[in-house]
Amino acid sequence: MERPLKILILDDEPIVCKRLQPALEKLGYEVESFTDSVEATRRIQETSYDIVITDLKMKEIDGMRFLEEVKSRHPKTEVIVITGFATMETAKQSFRKGVFDFIAKPFKLGELQEVVNRAAAKILGESES
Amino acid sequence: MTVVPRIFRALWNRFKKSRESPVEFSQIFDRFQGVLQNHQRVMELIADLGEKCGGEYIFDRKYLVDVVKELHSLLLHMVQELNFISSNKYLALYHTLDRIISQLEAELRGRLSFDQNTPFALTLEDAPLDRPELIGGKANVLAIISRNLKLPIPPNGLVITTRAYRLFLEVNDLEDRIYSLLESWATGERDEYSTSRQIRYHILAGIIPKEISKEIEQWTGGKGSRKRWAVRSSAYGEDGELSFAGIHESVLNVPSRDVPYAYKRVLASLYSPEALVYRQRMNMLSEEAAMAVIIQEMVHSKVSGVIHTVDISEENPDHLVVYASWGLGRTVVEGRDLVDIFVVEKAPPYNIVQKEIAVKTTSVKPTNAGGEKEEMLPQEERGASTLSDEDIIQLTKWALTLERYFKYPQEIEWAIDQGGQYVILQSRRLLIPKRRDQPGEDITTLCDQYPILFKEVGTVVHSGVGSGVVVKVASGSDMEHFPEGGVLVTKYTAPWLARIVPKASAIIAERGSAAGHFATIAREFRVPTLVGVEGAVENLQDGQVITVDARSRIIYAGRVKELLAYELIQPFPFEGMPEFRLIRRLFRRIAPLHLIDPSSPDFTPEGCQSVHDVVRFIHEKAVEELMDLPGLLQRSSGVHVYTLQSEIPLGLKVLNLGGGIDPKFIDTGKLKPKDIRSVPFRAFWSGLSGPGIWSTEPVLVDFKGIMSSLTRTPSETSGITSSAEFNLAVINQTYMNLHLRLGYHFNLIDTKVEPDSHHNYIYFRFVGGVTDNIRRSRRAKLLEAILSRYHFKVDVKGDLVVARVLHLSEEDMIQRLQMLGRLVGFTRQLDIQLQADEDITNFVGIFMSLNTPTEEGTQWKDH
Repeated sequence: MERPLKILILDDEPIVCKRLQPALEKLGYEVESFTDSVEATRRIQETSYDIVITDLKMKEIDGMRFLEEVKSRHPKTEVIVITGFATMETAKQSFRKGVFDFIAKPFKLGELQEVVNRAAAKILGESES
Repeated sequence: MTVVPRIFRALWNRFKKSRESPVEFSQIFDRFQGVLQNHQRVMELIADLGEKCGGEYIFDRKYLVDVVKELHSLLLHMVQELNFISSNKYLALYHTLDRIISQLEAELRGRLSFDQNTPFALTLEDAPLDRPELIGGKANVLAIISRNLKLPIPPNGLVITTRAYRLFLEVNDLEDRIYSLLESWATGERDEYSTSRQIRYHILAGIIPKEISKEIEQWTGGKGSRKRWAVRSSAYGEDGELSFAGIHESVLNVPSRDVPYAYKRVLASLYSPEALVYRQRMNMLSEEAAMAVIIQEMVHSKVSGVIHTVDISEENPDHLVVYASWGLGRTVVEGRDLVDIFVVEKAPPYNIVQKEIAVKTTSVKPTNAGGEKEEMLPQEERGASTLSDEDIIQLTKWALTLERYFKYPQEIEWAIDQGGQYVILQSRRLLIPKRRDQPGEDITTLCDQYPILFKEVGTVVHSGVGSGVVVKVASGSDMEHFPEGGVLVTKYTAPWLARIVPKASAIIAERGSAAGHFATIAREFRVPTLVGVEGAVENLQDGQVITVDARSRIIYAGRVKELLAYELIQPFPFEGMPEFRLIRRLFRRIAPLHLIDPSSPDFTPEGCQSVHDVVRFIHEKAVEELMDLPGLLQRSSGVHVYTLQSEIPLGLKVLNLGGGIDPKFIDTGKLKPKDIRSVPFRAFWSGLSGPGIWSTEPVLVDFKGIMSSLTRTPSETSGITSSAEFNLAVINQTYMNLHLRLGYHFNLIDTKVEPDSHHNYIYFRFVGGVTDNIRRSRRAKLLEAILSRYHFKVDVKGDLVVARVLHLSEEDMIQRLQMLGRLVGFTRQLDIQLQADEDITNFVGIFMSLNTPTEEGTQWKDH
């Protein structure tokens, strides 16, 4: 890997960030994590990420709005949605908004790593061609 | 005079009427099915919860709240269903449910809840190892060190529990006062110093309730005693899950008369400014704060110090560092003087790679009046080494035992007393500062040089990495020689293996689930464990060194040093996170099963302590009510049952709930075994009707008469038994509930067999007999011996045998049902023949020879 892919994690439950960050760093990604959506929103305005992992339902901000913001600023960013309020409707809605994949909480660390690796493969494949 | 009998009669008639009113069989069976389904769902949730404790899953608080909600609603349904089936015999369960659910809700809110018989004091020898919330983290660790790891700790330890702390607050009316002081700190009205000062003042001025002071006095011998004590903090969360290093107070060399005041000082230190800030930083709720206190005999140490099992300054996980000084431990812990430093390799032969003998000037000594003081060292001790090489190696070995057991680097306080005896004073997680400057590197590429034996196989029971030599265990005798740090490789995760789990550095099993009893034990001891690794027993060789990465589900040949080191210095061991503390506390109130024996006097709604107990109780009682299912069926109308036509004269009635019978079957009144589609029924029947099972070799002539009556069903021999009793199978495609009365034996088999092993179970119950008690209990022992060989969990009480097996694959379940068919056929006559205890072994042999040899043929239940 020439440069490590950059990942942003947003989830207002600290445990999710604390567990995902080292698990993804272990795979060689460069990871930043946020529990505060306002801060995360500011961050995506400053810089672009290859992959964004976000919860859908958080206290201050609707995850759906956050992912719209991400997609409108950086259409190439792959967004992975993780949520504890998984319904068919939210899943469909997120896919319509161009989400790469949708994972219901609780999930296995391995499942998410696998999805992230697939997203990474897609990004790298596109940049090569 | 006539009034009372009249009322009685009226009541009696009403009662009789309600008893006799035609029972809607289908409704009762619906409810029974409801109980079974909800039971199943509860067990699944318990299993899920267990899986989430293992570290492979990411979950949040909401998940825990949802699980508790769902358990509540399932239990409520089960209580309603049982009461419907039993005509409201178990209304007390509503109260039980309230009690248990409110405890779970209290846990979710972070509040400690105790019941009336929770003790105020416990000795370290007797303290339960699974209740850190009661005895505090430090006491819990010390009890584990002493009892599980058999390492020496200071003598005569008593723990004044967190319940005593609650009582102290209550009696002194402090709860609200503390709460409002903390509130004003949270809102910024006052700072942590003034908050702390106020709270500590109130605690030190408080009166120790009699219940507690009595315990302290009895233990220390009161004013007349000359003993000296160490009074140490053991806060809820301290050492066990969070570090809290040095935040709370410990008071050393306390004369017996001063122990009560020292107790209060330690309680007050729960509200030191540092402790307040620390808890806030760790997201602990104020209600989570509680202090247990350890009172131990003072160790007058000649030398004392600290070990770090990872060299932090070099970030070298292959080295550990021993710090030592003369006298009591404050010199090292508080950094009062220069200390000796020894750096040691962590692999045998434990080379000491560096010795720095400092010129020491002071030591801390206990004083006669109590307390400690710093003294100048005599000239000859100043430049001398505090430890010999033997001391260092001994301490190193213990440190490694602690690190392996607790699964992350340890900071260990130790001492050597005047007589030269070593003791461990405490052990806690060593926090390793995370280095920001190192970019993340893919650890898996570092491991590429090691041959991979298995990749992405199996299910994670407990996450983590462990390495050691392969030790295959197939029988109880193999367990005797299991070495410390070996990798346990086994076909099945049978409960009898539990004894060696604490010794194992990792576990690999070919079968088993992340849900069973064994999985709980593996997690309790935090042993990296993979199940479902097909071919492990065949492909791994005894004595071979391997590394099990239960996080990435990879098994490497050799010792993967890089990976072990990487795991050890992970900054966030998942077990320390608040959600993990919470899930484990919930799990302790949900999963353990205390109600094992249905005939015990505790087998009551009041005796239920956990969610598992409640569902166990309801299941047992529902089955008990349904024991009279055939009678129930006869009394109800509109139910169509078939009579099975077969060479085996059982007179078996079959009730199809749907999918159990070939749809092409045309009801001519002659249902044949071949028409039945129910998977468990077919399996059972193929065993029962197999060659040599039913019509066995000629039985002894003397017993012929008896035998003939045994093979006849009671309904055919009217007058002998109630006409309500006949043999009945309630079936669908994947389910069977079978009631068999063979003579005087009563058999119940309730089972589900599906392709998805999560739902599979067999519940087997056997009771009664025609002969004396001794022979009947011999038969029970025989059944136990045979069923254990097939990995059933068997409980025997007199002549009642209850056996269960869960979550095995469809194929394994079918094999067991076939065996049960043979067993039922085989044992129907047995108690007559079991004349001596030796016969048990003989008949086990005969029975096993009837069965095709299976791979588990050599396994015995561990007694």
